[in-house]
Amino acid sequence: MQLLLQGKPFTLLPQKALYHEEGSLLIIADVHLGKANHFRKEGISMPLNAQQGDYLNLKQLIDKISPGKVYFLGDLFHSDYNYDWHHFEALIGSYTGIEFTLIKGNHDFVDVEKFERLGLHIVNDLIEDEDFIYSHQPVTFEHSKLNIAGHIHPGIAISGRANQSARLPCFYLHRDVLLLPAFGTLTGLCIMDRIKTARVFAVLPGEVKQI
Amino acid sequence: MNRQHDIAQEWFSRNKWQPHKFQEDTWDAITNGYSGLLNAPTGFGKTYAIWFGVLQSYFARKKRSGGLHCLWLTPLRALSKEIHSATQRVSDELGLDYEIALRTGDTPQKERQRQKKKMPHAMITTPESVHLLLAQKGYNETFKNLEFVVVDEWHELLGNKRGVLIELALSRLKAINPKLKIWGISATIGNIEEAKEILLGTEPAKNKLIRARLEKQIEIETLLPDVIEKYPWAGHMGTALLDKILPVIHNSNTTLIFTNVRSQCEIWYKRLLDADPSLAGQIAIHHGSLSEEVRLWVESALHGGLLKAVVCTSSLDLGVDFRPVDTVVQIGSPKGVARFMQRAGRSGHQPGAVSKIYFLPTHSLEIIEGSAMRYAIAHKQIEQRVPYIRSFDALIQFMVTLAISDGFRADELFEEVIKTHCFASITRDEFNWCLAFITKGGKSLGTYDEFHKVVLVDGLYRVISRRVAMRHRLNIGVIVSDSMLQVKYMGGKRLGMVEEGFLSRLSPGDVFWFAGNNLELIRIKDMTAFVRKSNKSKGVFPSWQGGRMPLSSQLTRAIRVKLDEYYRRKAKDIEQLKLIPLFEKQEQVSHLPHVSELLIEKIKTKEGYHVFIYSFEGRNVHEGLSALFAYRIAKDRPGTFSLGFNDYGFELLSDQEIAIEEALEHGLFNTEHLSADIYASVNIAEMARRKFRDIATISGLVLSNYPGKQTKTRHLQANSELFFKVFTDYENDNLLLQEAYDEVMTFQMEQVRLMEALDRMQKQKVVIKELQELSPFCFPIFAERFRERLSNEPFEVRVRKLLDQEGK
Repeated sequence: MQLLLQGKPFTLLPQKALYHEEGSLLIIADVHLGKANHFRKEGISMPLNAQQGDYLNLKQLIDKISPGKVYFLGDLFHSDYNYDWHHFEALIGSYTGIEFTLIKGNHDFVDVEKFERLGLHIVNDLIEDEDFIYSHQPVTFEHSKLNIAGHIHPGIAISGRANQSARLPCFYLHRDVLLLPAFGTLTGLCIMDRIKTARVFAVLPGEVKQI
Repeated sequence: MNRQHDIAQEWFSRNKWQPHKFQEDTWDAITNGYSGLLNAPTGFGKTYAIWFGVLQSYFARKKRSGGLHCLWLTPLRALSKEIHSATQRVSDELGLDYEIALRTGDTPQKERQRQKKKMPHAMITTPESVHLLLAQKGYNETFKNLEFVVVDEWHELLGNKRGVLIELALSRLKAINPKLKIWGISATIGNIEEAKEILLGTEPAKNKLIRARLEKQIEIETLLPDVIEKYPWAGHMGTALLDKILPVIHNSNTTLIFTNVRSQCEIWYKRLLDADPSLAGQIAIHHGSLSEEVRLWVESALHGGLLKAVVCTSSLDLGVDFRPVDTVVQIGSPKGVARFMQRAGRSGHQPGAVSKIYFLPTHSLEIIEGSAMRYAIAHKQIEQRVPYIRSFDALIQFMVTLAISDGFRADELFEEVIKTHCFASITRDEFNWCLAFITKGGKSLGTYDEFHKVVLVDGLYRVISRRVAMRHRLNIGVIVSDSMLQVKYMGGKRLGMVEEGFLSRLSPGDVFWFAGNNLELIRIKDMTAFVRKSNKSKGVFPSWQGGRMPLSSQLTRAIRVKLDEYYRRKAKDIEQLKLIPLFEKQEQVSHLPHVSELLIEKIKTKEGYHVFIYSFEGRNVHEGLSALFAYRIAKDRPGTFSLGFNDYGFELLSDQEIAIEEALEHGLFNTEHLSADIYASVNIAEMARRKFRDIATISGLVLSNYPGKQTKTRHLQANSELFFKVFTDYENDNLLLQEAYDEVMTFQMEQVRLMEALDRMQKQKVVIKELQELSPFCFPIFAERFRERLSNEPFEVRVRKLLDQEGK
């Protein structure tokens, strides 16, 4: 679904990512790669192949959009180095023409050097341009700009007649912050309040729909 | 009296008491080396029936070795304390060299260390503490001279997974000491023989079932509204009858007022004080979320006769007798005969005294339950306790427990656990799956897998990582609580625990009612909510999650009998007579079914199209039936249903008209393909997902929350829903997943009962009524807020519909 942010056209993708046409910029938050492996390392049995979907989704999304730049808004990796790195390396390595940037999140403990060897830029807090501030956790100090952030894993509960209800991941725009849904499959939802001043875009299979 | 009973004899005559026959029988059995189960009511000396057997066995020995001789397990700390003081009294009065120690979660570290160095002769503790002992290195040494394990209130432990903990612990203790004698103590339940067999395992020692044939007289009086027409048709609170309860309190010495859930308990306490301020300081509140301090204070005040009344929940069902209590009130349906009798038994302790219990119905139709209860008790219709079997989560936990201490060998452990009732039917393949789960995290995933929990060293399964061991110790047990916050005064006094979900909706300055006080929230920090007392008159009441119990089949049968009596003009109970206007109203707007009829009501409201079916089988079976019927109807015509249910009947609600007549022709009540149809209904997965929450915690997938400690494990927190989803998608032969479904079928759907219900419905004559207004039967279901949904429409279609409806 198309949306104008600060007068610029964006696409809210049902793959749980945001695309900024003008900059050929794909924005992805909270992938949490290596989460299954991290759990397993600590003796908690989570099927490892559960994470394969995330790699596949990433690959399909990048192939489909073929952006010039990709921003990961933090929590790309869930933990320190583990075997998942090899999968990630292979994936990023196959896109030599794309510029990847990671804005570090609270779960990203991976060695900066390792990323840089892959050609990935690492940014500690945020990236700021004329209209936007990209960050992991929402920041609110610059009111003339829109902050695009992850971290929260926003979701929405909807209900209807006959006491039906469902929970969906969503994009959540409130005042000067746009929260992106978490990209990774091994993530939960934080159900957001339905306040009047917020605009909520629910992610459905194959479609994003404003509520 | 037998010479072997000299210790008992001396003590009884010193106290000028005469032993009961069952006590002498039990002493005989124990001194002659039997194991067994003692079936006796509370308050008749069942503790001493076992205790003197234990003492006499010990002192009859020629060589008295040191070390632990008897392990006494109880489900409650309060009960442990009671047993400790009762048994200590014997040692003190007779000057016996027999040390008895208490070990609970509260036992200080220093005392534990002392116990480790020199074990007492007897230890009174909980099932969880025994597993903690099995997690200590060198536990073989601790238990090597153990002669007795006594399991108190076995009927209570049997029906939940703590019973499985006991079975597993006993299997290990028997392997260490094959001559171990096991005694259980149980109240009367429908399957007492089976209870004995479960306790003693599949290869039992010589054993006896001893029944104390002592019966307590129970007198039931239903508190009735003056004008039935004015009493609400639905509701769970019952405060409309407040003015009926005040005279009961004033005319009694001390009254216990039982409520079914904690929020109801808090509300009743407040309403009583509002209605009669003179009760301030004379009444108290007691439930499982209050802090130990608060509960202990209430219990000692009860003992001391300082209170006129205590509003409580099942927290006071068990254990300790309070002599001053002479009256009991049950608010709302007691749900089961055994539970009602147990609660009634909390009054009138003097031998031969009558236990008086008042029943306060919370809505008009519930009045019938007073009459049904009297019928069920008179006909000795007492519920069975259904034991858990094949609880792989508990087995996995137990394996890791043993791996932490001295390690285990697979073949030996397999032989031990298949001798328990719980695991008698597991195969070696299933056992091996559990081994793989703790060593490889399930299926082997190749060379790069970094899974690390239990490792195999020289044939011994062991935990090497200290972190894993430490985390596991915190996780031992099978009682899974919600994420709770501690509630504390600024000065530090602890009041109890409230669910995180409730408090997170409050802001500082908001006022809520808890532990009988109006409290203002100051701030939340480190899983603790700091509060101060508030003078504001209004506050919200917290709610606690937790399943609602279904009405037992004994009680539902009694209700059907009582309704039929009315139909046949044979009603003479005061409750039935009171209900006449309500029944007449039901006949007028709909129909009053007799025992060979099945009533179905249809009505259209602004919420949609409703169908109500009354099978009187308890809410669990109704939940299952509603899902099953919705599925079967939707098979012919795709649609989405919202399901409502209570103990008397259930409701299907849809945004389109429901073709119930057509469905009846297509065999709605068929028992063929039942399992397949149940599994196919979406609901079963949702129910299993909820069951899986506990299973995930017990098996160590989800780490328990501890106030103040949770931040350290935050990066390892994933909720059980995620595991459930991931296993379903990627590993659906996972035994823990299977266990969740099995538990749903046995305990939630009550499959056996559901089959019986369908059989009965097939034989009944169906009466379908189109209603113009809601009937007394359907209104309570209509008013239930708790609902399930079932749909065979694809997720996208369902969500789009919802979004469209929201847009309107």
